[in-house]
Amino acid sequence: MVAYIEAKNVNLIFTPPNRMPVTALKDFNISVGEGEFVSIVGPSGCGKSTFLNVLLGLIPPHSGEMAINGKRVSGPGQDRAMVFQEFGLLPWRTVLNNVELGLELKGVATSERRPVSQKFIEMVGLAGFEGHYPHELSGGMKQRVGLARALATDPDVLLMDEPFAALDAQTRDIMQAELLRIWQEAKKTVLFVTHQIEEAVYLSDRVIVMTKRPGRAKKIIDIPLPRPRDYEMRVTQEFNDLKLQLWNELKDELTVHGNG
Amino acid sequence: MNDFVYKWRNPIFGSVSVVLFFLGWEALLTWAIPLNPFIMSKPSLIFEGLWLEMQSGQLWSDLLISGQPFIFGFGAAIVVGIFVGTMMGWRARVGYALDPLLTALYASPLVAIAPLVIIFFGVGVSGKAILIFVLCVFPFVFNTYAGVKSVDRLLVNVVRSLGGNERDIYLKVIVPSVLPFIIAGARYAIGRALVGILVGEFFAATAGIGYRIAWFSDMFELSRMFGYILVMMVVAVLFTEGIRWAERAAFPWRVGM
Repeated sequence: MVAYIEAKNVNLIFTPPNRMPVTALKDFNISVGEGEFVSIVGPSGCGKSTFLNVLLGLIPPHSGEMAINGKRVSGPGQDRAMVFQEFGLLPWRTVLNNVELGLELKGVATSERRPVSQKFIEMVGLAGFEGHYPHELSGGMKQRVGLARALATDPDVLLMDEPFAALDAQTRDIMQAELLRIWQEAKKTVLFVTHQIEEAVYLSDRVIVMTKRPGRAKKIIDIPLPRPRDYEMRVTQEFNDLKLQLWNELKDELTVHGNG
Repeated sequence: MNDFVYKWRNPIFGSVSVVLFFLGWEALLTWAIPLNPFIMSKPSLIFEGLWLEMQSGQLWSDLLISGQPFIFGFGAAIVVGIFVGTMMGWRARVGYALDPLLTALYASPLVAIAPLVIIFFGVGVSGKAILIFVLCVFPFVFNTYAGVKSVDRLLVNVVRSLGGNERDIYLKVIVPSVLPFIIAGARYAIGRALVGILVGEFFAATAGIGYRIAWFSDMFELSRMFGYILVMMVVAVLFTEGIRWAERAAFPWRVGM
């Protein structure tokens, strides 16, 4: 497999004011193929979300190399787009204007960005809601806008930071199925951070298990389930075996020393 | 008909209480209490006096005279208040340094220094404008400060991650976040500005709404005095309602917040 996203020996140390420095990522390595759907799971605070922000270009690492399609990552770039856990929609913009934000920042003319944003609004199932403001939408609809906004910039890599964690369980199930449909349609490489084992197994080609802080990639588990995937697969023996395998890797990292 | 009533029920109910208030006042002083024009007046006399002031042009010239320091003082308060508030929000140290002092000044009844301001800056436009400025600048400072501090970091990161530069962050995130705070500040400031005009003109002036109110009061022309007070009330309502209307028109997204 040719590595499409490659991170080598990424180190990141936070120094909060008046506190001891915290090593968030230590010699973090991953390698993702083109068009792959890879999830990262790990205990809370292991640095999995931090890694996405580093890869997005918002936080510079202290050392290490990151490249996407052979191009070194050094700051935000048009080859990547993030879907945020808390949606990150601008409340003073309508659905249409939120989806257009990326194109607008690129300097694409209004007449050109209109059909593009319209296409992705339809793809995420929000046709008819173009003029609505975020406060008029449900959580699931807000995240659909977040997804359309990321896709509208036509990135090669879609980074998703616990995108469904703020949604209720049923909405999450629907959004997972929607994401798989859209992923197959849009053909993007996806790096998906979650703390939910079932979600990771259901969506991914491979799952990376991280250690507790300082976060390293501990184990990579292949998910050989056929595609397209449907909801019934979740009750098969194979699915449950994979969940158990993942759980066994993860549980050692979850043991909290002392209180907890 | 019912649709009409339903649609306009807020203004209809609102006006009913105002009309009843004036009718009750009129009735009380017509039938219940004998009217002593040195200490009382009633709506029919007030409106008659107001009508005469309008016809002679006195009211309009007074409004113009009082309007000038209002525009200068309020305008300066907007500019300076937004600038200081922005600096306090952006530079934490400026915020820490200025917050206690400005909070103390905001909380204290600054009208008390009105005589001093008039002594320093005279009875003309500048003295009154400065008094209005002193009263109005604080709502702008503190609301801008609160607005800048409350800018959502996530939205800044969203714009940065999509390739936005500093200017984009400023124009597409910070300004729209802070603007509603500033408008809300303007509503407080209007009330303080009107107090500033009146007090400034009570102390030293030769014309203007506040001067006229004080003068009519001294002359026991209570009908005329109440007429001018009524004008001030109308001006205050027009301003605050105007701002509220502009808020709804400009920030439809805040309806649900």
